Amino acid sequence: MPRSLKEAQTWRLLSQVFPLLQTVMTPKPAGPPDGGWGWVVAAAAFAVNGLSCGLLRSLGLALPDLAEHFDRSAQDTAWVSALALAVQQAASPVGSALSTRWGARPVVMVGGVLTSLGFVFSAFARSLLHLYLGLGVLAGSGWALVFAPALGTLSRYFSRRRVLAVGLALTGNGASSLLLAPALQLLLDNFGWRGALLLLGAITLHLTPCGALLRPLALPGDPLGPPRSPLAALGLGLFTRRAFLVFALGTALVGGGYFVPYVHLAPHALDRGLGGYGAVLVVAVAAVGDAGARLLCGWLADQGWVPLPRLLAMFGALTGLGLLAVGLVPVVGNEESWGGPLLAAAGAYGLSAGSYAPLVFGVLPGLVGIGGVVQATGLVMMLMSLGGLLGPPLSGFLRDETGDFTASFLVCGSFILSGSFIYVGLPSALPSCRPASHPGTAPPERGELLPDPQVALLPPGGPHSTLDTTC
Amino acid sequence: MVTGEHSNMPVEKNITLERPSNIELTCQFTTSGDLNSVNVTWRKGDELLENNYLINATGSILYTQYMFTIVNSEQMGSYSCFFEEKKEQRGTFNFKVPELHEKKKPLITYVGDSVVLMCKCQGCFPLNWTWYSSNGSVQVPVGVPINNKYVINGKTANETRLKIMQLSEEDQGSYWCQAIFQLGESEEHIEIVVLSYWVPLKAFLGIAAEVVLLVAIILLCEMYTQKKKKHSDDGKEFEQIEQLKSDDSNGIENNAPRHRKNESVGQ
Repeated sequence: MPRSLKEAQTWRLLSQVFPLLQTVMTPKPAGPPDGGWGWVVAAAAFAVNGLSCGLLRSLGLALPDLAEHFDRSAQDTAWVSALALAVQQAASPVGSALSTRWGARPVVMVGGVLTSLGFVFSAFARSLLHLYLGLGVLAGSGWALVFAPALGTLSRYFSRRRVLAVGLALTGNGASSLLLAPALQLLLDNFGWRGALLLLGAITLHLTPCGALLRPLALPGDPLGPPRSPLAALGLGLFTRRAFLVFALGTALVGGGYFVPYVHLAPHALDRGLGGYGAVLVVAVAAVGDAGARLLCGWLADQGWVPLPRLLAMFGALTGLGLLAVGLVPVVGNEESWGGPLLAAAGAYGLSAGSYAPLVFGVLPGLVGIGGVVQATGLVMMLMSLGGLLGPPLSGFLRDETGDFTASFLVCGSFILSGSFIYVGLPSALPSCRPASHPGTAPPERGELLPDPQVALLPPGGPHSTLDTTC
Repeated sequence: MVTGEHSNMPVEKNITLERPSNIELTCQFTTSGDLNSVNVTWRKGDELLENNYLINATGSILYTQYMFTIVNSEQMGSYSCFFEEKKEQRGTFNFKVPELHEKKKPLITYVGDSVVLMCKCQGCFPLNWTWYSSNGSVQVPVGVPINNKYVINGKTANETRLKIMQLSEEDQGSYWCQAIFQLGESEEHIEIVVLSYWVPLKAFLGIAAEVVLLVAIILLCEMYTQKKKKHSDDGKEFEQIEQLKSDDSNGIENNAPRHRKNESVGQ
């Protein structure tokens, strides 16, 4: 009797304990922490941004040395930066897809090693082709693997303060230009371009510890299995929407001019007569203006005082005008001067370009709805990468034909102005987006366009995330 | 070609000259006193020049003109007109060959690499270019293509390039390019530094080691905090089971031995 009673008791105990054990052993994912380790991830994303975009921006300082050593034109050496930028942007979806499959952490760590290898390989280059392969393809691919996954992980850690966190991470770009531009000039002066590239390889290796900080986070709404077909996720059907088509056209044009200063601002300053450190100051001013404007404009756009498409057109136009001004500044008298007019123009360009960047991604939810934002962002990145491939070599070609960068900056400024003119055709009143039912959790995005809610993580560049409650 | 130059006192003028030319120098001197008491002379450096100059007086201005021809480098230099009244006034004309653009930064290169040294003359066309290297004070001509080490060529008439291949640490030092004109020479100095790859490589390896350390620290810290969390979770889990059992049992089972057992397991 006691034995059967004991058995019954045990069974009753087990039936009560087992479900409890299940929930204790495998806890339901809580919502985004909105803080805590999230701030560490923000710092890591800040560093990732700095070591990819910021570094690319400062790389222009080394291009004249490369042109001199390999006895090639400015146009040819511009391909190095242009290729790296284009590979980074065009391959970004690959980075997002890989991190969806295996998690952001290993992908970013591998990306860091890849980028570093690219720089080390290019330090021993015997021809410009080696540089195209090393810096352009290898380092560009490494950067493609780090950028989108890092920002995507960051947006998963935040919900209410997502905009602020992503905006903060994006200022890493500007901050690193401030540090890396003079550091690079120092390396060039002391180690030549080979030693400088080798040591930049060591510096970019720090992307790997940043990747190690991206702790995986389980959120409700995560897909239980790996993503299905990648082709459906491209979302080319978005182009049938008139608003998005107009936007895509404008952005493609803007992309033709947007990246030229990344590559040619430093050589332009050197051409105008400034010394090495004077050019560094110009790059730094543009970078600081850009970084500050990203935060400020993100905040401004959030207030809702001006419709986003109008802001987009306005800041696009200002960026174009800023570049026209940069191209038209006169030659500086002596190498020691600090180049006032060029600094002012570079600052104006930086402020406008920094305001434009978050708006490009911020306006998307209103154009295509929150369900299509991920794909739309991927498409925008690819459109801009076309411009990134075309703009800098065209600028270099014009420089070789005319002797200086005036024509280059005038042409790229006009590209941006014409793109902004097309933006005027965007509808000023965007449909308001319904807020998600759980502000703290990721809304499941079921629809025919996206079979899985998070097939691609948050694409680079936007303080306005896809999973935000506002448009 | 005739050059005319005028000079109001006291002044110095630099003139760049590439080819043999006919020269006409004019000085004018204004004084309130007696023009005839002014002694006018022309000198080249300190040497008094004897002939070929005119003196003319108009009103209160005294003109003097010196005409000559420069054909070789000995005739280049400083020519001065002197007006001696109470004190001596002079104007000087300095004749020089075109100067080359001075490069400041030394070129940093690596062992086994190749380098191109370039000299350019803005708006002037030398007859010839030569290259020298100097270790200390000895100048050694450079450019004989031994073992394909040196190649000299220039894309246009006003520039020259010296390409040095297979650099070694002995190639380090000062190099001079010399532009030769009919009327003299002009030099420019370029410095080459040849480093071994080990120099930046040391720094690279140091930084790489630091990165590996960082990654290890980050991952170990995380494993440690996860272990602690798992332990505290396990402890909570057993506490909850314990809670259930004590709620559930009616005192039929003796809890004491089980309690002890659970305690030891819970640790």
